[in-house]
Amino acid sequence: MKPPVKKDTTPFFVGYFKVPKKLRSFLLIAGVAVVAFMTAFGLVSGASQDDPGDGAFRFDYGRQTVTGVIELLPYPLLHVTEGNDRIKPGHTLMLTAQGKSGVFSRAEPLEGQKVTASGIILERGALNMLQVRGGARGLGPAEGSGAPPVSEPLGRWKLAGEICDGKCLAGAMRPGRGIAHKACANLCLLGDIPPVFVSTKPVDGSEFLMILGKDGGPLPAIAYDYVAQFISLEGDVSRHGDLLVLRMDPATIEVMK
Amino acid sequence: MSVKYIPVQWNKNKWWYDGFMLAGVVGFLWVFLYVTPEILSHERPINPQIHNARAFGACAFFMMTIILCIGPLARLDKRFLPLLYNRRHFGVMTAAVALTHFSYVLNWYFAFSGTNKYEALLFSNTSYGQLVGFPFEAFGIFALLCLLILAATSHDFWLKFLTAPVWKRIHYLIYFAYAAVVAHVSLGVLQDQQNHLFTVVFVASAFTVAGLHLLAFLHERKAGDPDAVPDTDGWVQVCHAKDIPEARAKIAVLPSGDRVAVFRLEDKLSAVSNACAHQNGPLGEGKVIRCLITCPWHGFQYDIRSGRSPAPFTEKIPTYNLAVRDGVVLVNPKANPPGTYVEPVEV
Ligand code: FES
Repeated sequence: MKPPVKKDTTPFFVGYFKVPKKLRSFLLIAGVAVVAFMTAFGLVSGASQDDPGDGAFRFDYGRQTVTGVIELLPYPLLHVTEGNDRIKPGHTLMLTAQGKSGVFSRAEPLEGQKVTASGIILERGALNMLQVRGGARGLGPAEGSGAPPVSEPLGRWKLAGEICDGKCLAGAMRPGRGIAHKACANLCLLGDIPPVFVSTKPVDGSEFLMILGKDGGPLPAIAYDYVAQFISLEGDVSRHGDLLVLRMDPATIEVMK
Repeated sequence: MSVKYIPVQWNKNKWWYDGFMLAGVVGFLWVFLYVTPEILSHERPINPQIHNARAFGACAFFMMTIILCIGPLARLDKRFLPLLYNRRHFGVMTAAVALTHFSYVLNWYFAFSGTNKYEALLFSNTSYGQLVGFPFEAFGIFALLCLLILAATSHDFWLKFLTAPVWKRIHYLIYFAYAAVVAHVSLGVLQDQQNHLFTVVFVASAFTVAGLHLLAFLHERKAGDPDAVPDTDGWVQVCHAKDIPEARAKIAVLPSGDRVAVFRLEDKLSAVSNACAHQNGPLGEGKVIRCLITCPWHGFQYDIRSGRSPAPFTEKIPTYNLAVRDGVVLVNPKANPPGTYVEPVEV
């Protein structure tokens, strides 16, 4: 007599046939689980994002027009002489053009002169910057003459913090700093946007310092490798109007943990 | 199976499959894009472009995670096999979601400058010599290219054109893509996190993928296909005939490393190559339905006697000559050319 033939009753799924009854509830659960997992992951990933801070374009302030004196560091600064309700005389504004470009070429012929600047303010806490309009209406010569205030040396400092592009940091992007934003920051800096060092400890009351090369030139190439990283460095700090400027010594850069 | 190439041969199960997967993607994106901003209630919201980029990027990561879990799950528990059936549609969806992530990033972080966006993407950060601050975008670009290649070649036309082994090898790119995405995220957004919840879920997902593959590997080593035992005249013993269930098969590894599947249909046995002509699916884990061996992966069918797909289909697999001696199934390990008729052997 032949032995009985084995039976394998495991349900067998064929895509173009009806799903075997035994598998139906399993597959239904699997399908619902995929939807549930994805939705839950969406919730967790979305809801765990960090606060990007309060930096922003202040379109709500309206267009700001002020008069002041240009100082080239070489990133142009505007020392305000005649301000308005929001921007007081004596304030020092960093300047930027639209997008990822600075205003060096437009400010250079106006160095040391009185100008009228007009545009939108970017603001993050005590840090602000003026994005000037295009053409002479954004940055043009004004009547009268003036001179930038005499800078005041504050000595050599060792600081810990992050090199950022001043514009994204001030609110052109939220978040506008950090490693994920590094390439964007580099691109801004290559476009002559003023670099800003965010210090963990305030220097003479300010945690934001415009940062330059050791000789006072633009941000040195070597510094680009450290943009957006937590580093320590040394340099000479001076006050230009009410803005602090750090002339960094690239040889002292150390990556912090 | 393929007769002529039409974009997708739809059936009800595919609709269901895509429906669930699409619902998962929509669920993820909808919650991330529209619900979480309310929950976060930041004083000033994250830029919409960045928020969108993150949503699509994270979504693509979790989609890849699911795709890569399906394989080992199906190896550990056959009930997951249907999830493999239409996985390529989910893969194409993943490529589309990843591409959306890319375009948000490109048109935000790398726009608004005098430099061409693509050049800016490649050359803004060149700190390749360091880990922190490494241009993690490079890993993202690599992963996206892989996904696009996989999506573009996902159709059966390419499978046939490239042949199954080559196609399969290309599609192993998904593992490199996943590794690249893990690096992309780890060296990018994870570096900035203050809230570590996402990091935890991210790491857990990556470990799940790795862990399931390890489990499946160990499972297969323990419960894998047995080696065929050498017999006289160069033939090999595969199994006992009585161990082969009706309409199913037993698989054995031949000395060459190829696998043979011996099927039983009404007291007669037939031996064919275990590798499906479609994507090398394990035919021996399939079932005989109306005289046709049916692949467990996508349902390609082959005549049990000749290894030929029924007309109008043209796929063919090799067959093997076999014999039964004292209840033991013997197979000649030299495969017959694909499609060779072999008379089934009475048990
Ligand atoms: S591998 Fe796709 S049907 Fe067999």
